[in-house]
Amino acid sequence: MFGHHRNDKGRDDPDDLVLEPRDVTFDWSNLPTHWVPDEPLVTHTCNVLHLLLPAGERWFVDLFTRAVPLIKDDRLREDVLGFIGQETLHARSHQGVLDHWKTRGIDTDPYVAQIEWMFRAALGDRELPAKRREEWLIERLAIVAAIEHITATLGNWALNSPALDAAKADPTMLDLLRWHGAEEVVHRAVAFDLFTHLDGRYLHRARAMLTTAPIMLWLWVRGIAFLMRTDPELGGRVKPRWRHYFRASRRHLLPPAHQLVGQTLNYCRPSYHPSKEFSTGQAVAYLASSPAATAAAV
Amino acid sequence: MDDYQIPPPDLRGRAHADRMFRMLGALVTGYEWLANGAHSRRPSTQRVDRDLNLVVDEIRIEGQNVRSYRLVAAGGEKLPSWQPGCHLDVLLPTGRRRQYSLCGDPRDRGSYRIAVRRIDTGAGGSRELHDSVGTGCALTVRGPRNGFPYVRADRYLFIAGGIGITPILPMVKQAAADGAQWQLVYTGRSRASMPFLDELSALDPARVRLRPYDEFGFPASGSELLQYAPNQATVYCCGPAPIIANVRRDLPDSAAQALHFERFTTPPIVDGRPFEIALTRSNRVLTVPADRSALDVIRQQIPDIAYSCQRGFCGTCRSRVISGEVDHRDRVLTDGERTDTMTICVSRSRGDRIVLDL
Ligand SMILES: [Fe+2]
Ligand SMILES: [Fe+2]
Repeated sequence: MFGHHRNDKGRDDPDDLVLEPRDVTFDWSNLPTHWVPDEPLVTHTCNVLHLLLPAGERWFVDLFTRAVPLIKDDRLREDVLGFIGQETLHARSHQGVLDHWKTRGIDTDPYVAQIEWMFRAALGDRELPAKRREEWLIERLAIVAAIEHITATLGNWALNSPALDAAKADPTMLDLLRWHGAEEVVHRAVAFDLFTHLDGRYLHRARAMLTTAPIMLWLWVRGIAFLMRTDPELGGRVKPRWRHYFRASRRHLLPPAHQLVGQTLNYCRPSYHPSKEFSTGQAVAYLASSPAATAAAV
Repeated sequence: MDDYQIPPPDLRGRAHADRMFRMLGALVTGYEWLANGAHSRRPSTQRVDRDLNLVVDEIRIEGQNVRSYRLVAAGGEKLPSWQPGCHLDVLLPTGRRRQYSLCGDPRDRGSYRIAVRRIDTGAGGSRELHDSVGTGCALTVRGPRNGFPYVRADRYLFIAGGIGITPILPMVKQAAADGAQWQLVYTGRSRASMPFLDELSALDPARVRLRPYDEFGFPASGSELLQYAPNQATVYCCGPAPIIANVRRDLPDSAAQALHFERFTTPPIVDGRPFEIALTRSNRVLTVPADRSALDVIRQQIPDIAYSCQRGFCGTCRSRVISGEVDHRDRVLTDGERTDTMTICVSRSRGDRIVLDL
């Protein structure tokens, strides 16, 4: 009767959180092109998030909305509904950056069109019989769970990145990344738990990550190159180089490769559960002081 | 539906479709083929029962109109663990569902304690508990869930208003046990109406500040309460909506640096009029009373309906309107969208009836 899959990692970290979206807004009117001053590669590596997330998170929301009727666990349903609202606001907030760029003459449409195609067409719905339609939905939920582990990893990194403050990164952009990162950490188990509830086959889970992670890396590399080509202040003169990334990550301005690879492999361990990673308490504490989250209308 | 056979245009504007994305499309096709392979069948989804069957073990008077209920498992089992800030969803015998903060000791795995103030003008949940739930009564609850997470910090200011002391009480005890630097400001109509003064008297009196309205007046500002904040304190605030609003507003001018708050009531429906909703797909007509939302009523009939914020900003619950004039109360839909959609969590009908494609 009282079976309850909770991790017993100690009473210190808050658990069983109610997930609620926050009605945040961000003002980009003073956003410099290189919002990490003199660090175009760092700036654009983070900027790829704005290219990927609006389309990606709307896709999550779409899939999750259609998964709701399959759920036979009221508590998980509450989590999924909270997740949907949070991801909706994430997509909207990153879209705000794209809209701002457009007013400054930076056109990201060609790249974004490809991402839209990937999520909406390649990974979209098919004319399928009902049973196979459901299988295709759940197979894609495995991909969402894999991506959610990556977003939680990045979110956790963003919450622990004092080097960006020291580099005088734009405070509004840092708040966007950390507010989003904090909500990713807080809801990190939802997609995993949903996949586990509806399917849970280890092979499908691991396969989703091993396919997704290299594609994400590829999209990131392409996105950085695209943004550096389009950057009006660089004028195509500066090319992204791997050694620039390694230099920046050594200075803690970007997440280190070993952490990203390590977390990818960690997800593929059979005993993995998102609640064993990262600190909900740290994320909750950030949300209680984030300028955008504390200003959100309630 | 976009055609996934046709990859998107090339990134540099060349005439052919993007070659890499053509490969990505092929990869997805292969992935789908794998997914359809018959190597293992997807296990069927098991229904998960979240109900806890509890029994009222003891009822105590904690203040004017305030009673606490000690709940134990009907079979005497250990209860799920909880943390300060957690609440239970209590299903009352008449079917009402109410949330009450846990205010006992988290280390006690044998019982839960909730405290309830009887509100004569309320929707009836508290009256029902006070009047018809006695010792030995069975109660079904869900949870615990945490809507007000308590996070470790070195310095705290706790602000409680009236029955808002319930989630704060275990936090204060935890902070005291951890040796944190903390202050509690506790307001309420009068000392007699403020529950748990006896338990608070066991704590360091220099840290507990009682400010009943009949002695100090209703707090005129947030600053009046925030003045007790230790430097860089984390504030936990639970109480009447005006107190929370004032504390939120004045926080930037205080010594505190973070604010966690929990409201006990959902925002009231302003100028609500009852109306009917006809649902075409499920072929039903429902009546929305003045004090409930359309979502609330529809959800009882369609439990799988998607919604999220319940405050009209996320847009998850948008539904297609077939006919009827909508009183749009959301802050998300564009004028164009408002011509044929509404967010059912906050928006209502201007007329007597609205027809939805649900
Ligand atoms: Fe997100
Ligand atoms: Fe997420």
